[in-house]
Amino acid sequence: MTSKSIATEAKLLLIGIPLFIWTMLPIYHLCLFAFSSKDEAMGGRLWPEHPTLHNFEVVFQQQHHYLNHFWLQMWNSLFIAVTVGLLTLVVATSAAFAISRLKVRGGRTVMNLALFTYFIPAAFLAVPMYKTMGVYGLLNNQWALILAMTTIAAPYSIWVLKQASDKLPYELDEAAKMDGASPLQLFRLVYLPLMTPSLVAIGTYALLLAWNEYLYAFLLLSNDRDVTLGVALGNFLAADDSPWELLMTTGLIYALPPAAIYYTFKRYMVGGLTAGAVKS
Amino acid sequence: MATVSFQNIEKSFGHTKVIQGISFDIKEGEFMVLVGPSGCGKSTLLRMLAGLEEITGGTIAIDGKVVNDIESKDRDIAMVFQSYALYPHMTVGENMAFSLKLRKADPKMMADRVAHASKILNLDPYLARFPRELSGGQRQRVAMGRAIVRDPKVFLFDEPLSNLDAKLRVAMRAEIKALHQRLKTTTVYVTHDQVEAMTMADRIVVMHDGRIEQIGEPLELYDHPDNLFVAQFIGSPAMNVMTGKVKRSGGPAHVEVAGGVRWPLQQGPGTEGQAVSYGIRPGDLRLASPDAPDAVPAEIVVVEPTGAETELLIQAGNDQLILVTHGRPNVNPGDRIGLSIDPAKVHVFDQGTGARLAA
Repeated sequence: MTSKSIATEAKLLLIGIPLFIWTMLPIYHLCLFAFSSKDEAMGGRLWPEHPTLHNFEVVFQQQHHYLNHFWLQMWNSLFIAVTVGLLTLVVATSAAFAISRLKVRGGRTVMNLALFTYFIPAAFLAVPMYKTMGVYGLLNNQWALILAMTTIAAPYSIWVLKQASDKLPYELDEAAKMDGASPLQLFRLVYLPLMTPSLVAIGTYALLLAWNEYLYAFLLLSNDRDVTLGVALGNFLAADDSPWELLMTTGLIYALPPAAIYYTFKRYMVGGLTAGAVKS
Repeated sequence: MATVSFQNIEKSFGHTKVIQGISFDIKEGEFMVLVGPSGCGKSTLLRMLAGLEEITGGTIAIDGKVVNDIESKDRDIAMVFQSYALYPHMTVGENMAFSLKLRKADPKMMADRVAHASKILNLDPYLARFPRELSGGQRQRVAMGRAIVRDPKVFLFDEPLSNLDAKLRVAMRAEIKALHQRLKTTTVYVTHDQVEAMTMADRIVVMHDGRIEQIGEPLELYDHPDNLFVAQFIGSPAMNVMTGKVKRSGGPAHVEVAGGVRWPLQQGPGTEGQAVSYGIRPGDLRLASPDAPDAVPAEIVVVEPTGAETELLIQAGNDQLILVTHGRPNVNPGDRIGLSIDPAKVHVFDQGTGARLAA
């Protein structure tokens, strides 16, 4: 190893080690709480004296009054996240196809208007969204959250998918047209298969966005049997004497599916989300 | 097999008129090549025939039936694209069968057609492969196979060889021509390469700035170009062109160019004093001794032997000319030589309009 490469390595480590600690410290504490008993958890130790799986047992068997609906709420989170993912895909793919491939008149304007919504922070739109859902009688209905999250996820998704579509050669569409494909056949038989990587990336993005959402879920759903696990976790903090070790355990469990999804689709995520970022 | 007829075709993109009223007919089974420099409107014309561009004015008819308002898929035509436009997610076989599948054709018939086409094109070993696993030439053949399986009335080719390297291009050129001789399907072929046009076409349409410059058989265009544009576009190396004035009085008719060089002329074209462009093909120039009677004095600048032929760059007065000879002349740069010219092989065009002057 030359001195130059050692210097480079050292510099990378110098940046890497603090960054690693910075990122992992909260997660480490999360795990520390999850694997410690209640008394030990608050003891301020850096590693558990008597590591235990007791907390997981309590959570999985719903043995605490905060966790009475753990499995149901987990299911709610999953159902809402997956539905948002799928719905966003339907909306964004159709829009991107229409704008980029069918070159619908005014398509660009529609896309720009959609992106314009990001000028206003989503939190500011929470109250208007609450009102709107109220008007349609959707409050305390999971579809309210699903529709709201799809609305928030769609503009970015349309934009990314449009950029990705633009990279498909237009001659493919023309060839399909000459081969006798209707726009729908073009969409189904040529466009969708070629867009798969971007679709996976965008589906995952929307799914994770909905999975991690707190504010909208908290506002739009209130019944304990309807809320997502994220909101249920928030409710832990309502009491003065919160069961921290259970909160952290549930949090750890809640963080696992997104991590799994992310690692499964990682290779799509990087390629798909940066698609169209640079002209190639 | 079918006839194709263009009547007063116009095309505008916004306010820009790219095709300015074009009319011509293509006969049944004919191999028609549209050729011209880029931007001349040849691809646009083809795309209008394909139904991929709206027709601004005029009518296009296939087999006597106007197709202006008929969708591409119902025109019964197949197109080979410059980029091949193969579906990347389908195998070679699926690519070729796609159009039949969309028509819900009988599976047996579909398999037969694909087998037939792949046999003609030697694609049998590759049917299960994906386009990315093929070479450029093979992809090109798949694109052709996709057109063949449809057994269309008209084949359209849009610069199909421009993505191939020079050697492969020559091979595919012959392959496409052989294919046409075998299938005898009416073909419209767009290219900017006049060599492709000359070698493949039954007839050529030379286009420039959205207009037709001339329509004719390859050798007709070569021997009797209607105007200066066609004269310079067709033929490689390009025709030598000098500008000067016709002189008839006092000795044999000639064109006198700036610098005083006199180029011999037949009795026919041009009136006394008319400003003309004087053209002679590199192959029609002959080397002569510098003091031969009637020879134009000149000097060798560069000698380029290619084996079968020798190209000479020659300075005559203020003009530089190219001479191509099949022999291997014993000349060197700087040599004084004479150029002997058969006045019957000379092309004379009006300098203003570029139109050929009757010989």
